[in-house]
Amino acid sequence: MRKTLWRRELRADAWRYPGESGTGEPVLTLAELLQAAAEGRLAGAGVGVSLGPTDNVELLAPLVERLALIVVQFEKSGDGRGYSQAQLLRQRIGYAGELRAGGAIGRDHLFLLARCGFDAFDLDPGEDLEAARAQLQRYSVAYQGAADTLVRPRRREGYAA
Amino acid sequence: MVRVYQYEAFDRTFVNERVAEFRDQTRRFLAGELSEDEFRPLRLRNGLYIQTHAPMLRVAIPYGMLSSTQLRMLAHIARHYDRDYGHFSTRQNIQFNWPKLEQVPDILAELATVDMHAIQTSGNCIRNITTDHLAGVAADELEDPRPWCELIRQWSTHHPEFNYLPRKFKIAVTGAANDRAVSAVHDIGVHLVRGPDGVTGFEILCGGGLGRMPIIGKRIREWLPQSELLAYLEAILRVYNSHGRRDNIHRARIKVLVKSLGVAEFARQVEREYAANRAFAPQVGAAEIARLRASFTPPPYQLLRDSDPTSAAGAPFVAWYRHNTRAHKVSGYRAVFVSLKKHGEAPGDMSSPQMLGLAELADRYSFGELRVTHDQNLLLADVPQRELAALHRSLADLGLAAPNIGTLTDMIACPGLDFCSLANAGTIGVAKQIHAQFDDFDYLYDLGEIQVKMSGCMNACGHHHVGHIGILGVDKHGEEWYQITLGGSASGAVSLGEVIGPSVPKAQVAATLARIVEVYLERRHDADESFLQTVRRLGLAPFKERVYAEDAVAA
Repeated sequence: MRKTLWRRELRADAWRYPGESGTGEPVLTLAELLQAAAEGRLAGAGVGVSLGPTDNVELLAPLVERLALIVVQFEKSGDGRGYSQAQLLRQRIGYAGELRAGGAIGRDHLFLLARCGFDAFDLDPGEDLEAARAQLQRYSVAYQGAADTLVRPRRREGYAA
Repeated sequence: MVRVYQYEAFDRTFVNERVAEFRDQTRRFLAGELSEDEFRPLRLRNGLYIQTHAPMLRVAIPYGMLSSTQLRMLAHIARHYDRDYGHFSTRQNIQFNWPKLEQVPDILAELATVDMHAIQTSGNCIRNITTDHLAGVAADELEDPRPWCELIRQWSTHHPEFNYLPRKFKIAVTGAANDRAVSAVHDIGVHLVRGPDGVTGFEILCGGGLGRMPIIGKRIREWLPQSELLAYLEAILRVYNSHGRRDNIHRARIKVLVKSLGVAEFARQVEREYAANRAFAPQVGAAEIARLRASFTPPPYQLLRDSDPTSAAGAPFVAWYRHNTRAHKVSGYRAVFVSLKKHGEAPGDMSSPQMLGLAELADRYSFGELRVTHDQNLLLADVPQRELAALHRSLADLGLAAPNIGTLTDMIACPGLDFCSLANAGTIGVAKQIHAQFDDFDYLYDLGEIQVKMSGCMNACGHHHVGHIGILGVDKHGEEWYQITLGGSASGAVSLGEVIGPSVPKAQVAATLARIVEVYLERRHDADESFLQTVRRLGLAPFKERVYAEDAVAA
């Protein structure tokens, strides 16, 4: 059972990631999603897709209304490409559904991930839930604007939000 | 009154929250809750390395600006948490070589009380912004670069998207015709320039760097409006974060991306991202620029006349005045270098008594402000000419008046094997060997301006590629050898030095330099032809011939 922090709560996960077995709704890879869309096989809304670090998120622009979950997989700790993918999804592409960070992330990354627009996080099973929630409150201020879907750090007075 | 950027409650809140976060992370590491692999990127982003003997803490000195109050705090840190000294680096920062890991959160908390921190002084993120050490006082300046440095500092601090880049990222800003910030060997060089309509904006260079693959940055934008600076930087960083290589640490800097795409294609991608991101990119408003500029207004200069302080002075003062002071744009003032290159000492090192004494002198003579230069000296930027004699005596008492600025012994040297786990070479020992070889100041003055820059390894912290004489430590079967380059230059027409031939053993480095400068003295047209000009005119051949002559030093 995956331990997913959604917003600030633990959530039972009904999704089945690529390569996983089980009964949940399948999460497609980007290639599978694009192929299904091209062949007219995407049934309605509520589709899930999983992205790797080299996937071009701009390809999702025409499909954004159909998606209910985007998982950005961090393959290696320190690989920051997912932060740019998230900002693009939230800002340029206008995706408003669940944006989940998976893979090599930990408690110490949560604040900046949330600033980039993530609102859900696959946590290590041993991760301390209270500490993870607290990390989302770690900073009350920020020098820059960002997607900020889950955290709202204050900007300097008189500056644009 | 202090002439550095004035923190507001907002800035202090951020720094204090950062200290609290790092205190928690350090506690978890010491308790075994965080592995070394998990802790490393966190501590690096707070300036903390694990070195040969102990942790090394690199404290940020944004664009080299330091108040006397801050220098006193650095003295306090040196005395209470270290071995009573600190080392100023080519990033205009200071490094402490002997702190205890468990005390680092306390050190950071103490630094925060004077608006200082160690945030992003290492790690694969945007590092300390550097600039011209004569910012605000140089006559050849179009506009003071420091408000722009501060703007970039704030934007890059804890940037949510760019905290895990492929590799470290360095930005330098300059507002003067003569680039004293070595901006062409930075990931991004920002130049204040006049545009076609006479409006001041920015020229942007990208993809410069030293290290294993030294490259001079290429211009990707001829002119950018001032309000667009952050939007454009954001576009560059996004292209780099998305497409820079992450599979090989030696191919991960932005210079490799610029080179592999070609500068035209790279610039096209940046322009495309810049245009596509308009709705979300940060704009620099007039109110923000005005607020930042207000932090760097000129100090309350007295109305003074230019004088010649050397007219009735003794020889030591005259030598110091000629070599260690520079013209100031306000009449009656000089900019004064505080030499951290006293012969026999490690270049860039300063003891806590020296820091405390110098803080006092900064208060008395230079509006309580100091700067750190990228070549590891300090600078008092605004000294009345009539106080120079008194200042000289006080600096001499502190051991900070070695009259060698711009000469061969004003060399840059990284900390080397004595401290750094990457180094191949004991650079400090070689620096002392060179000091001993060239201890005749009349001879040094006859040689004129010669920039010697020495790195203990390929990573080039000592900027050896852009030294008129570059010295690189290499390891040959466990022994220290040194490769010599000639003809590099960090200012004006930036150039990379060329290797003269096989490396020389450690004991022969100073003797090799002696042979090189002998050739210069014999072959220069006259005393007005500098070492660098002579090397450029003659090429390497005559220097090679002398260095590797029959009684050759090299193997």
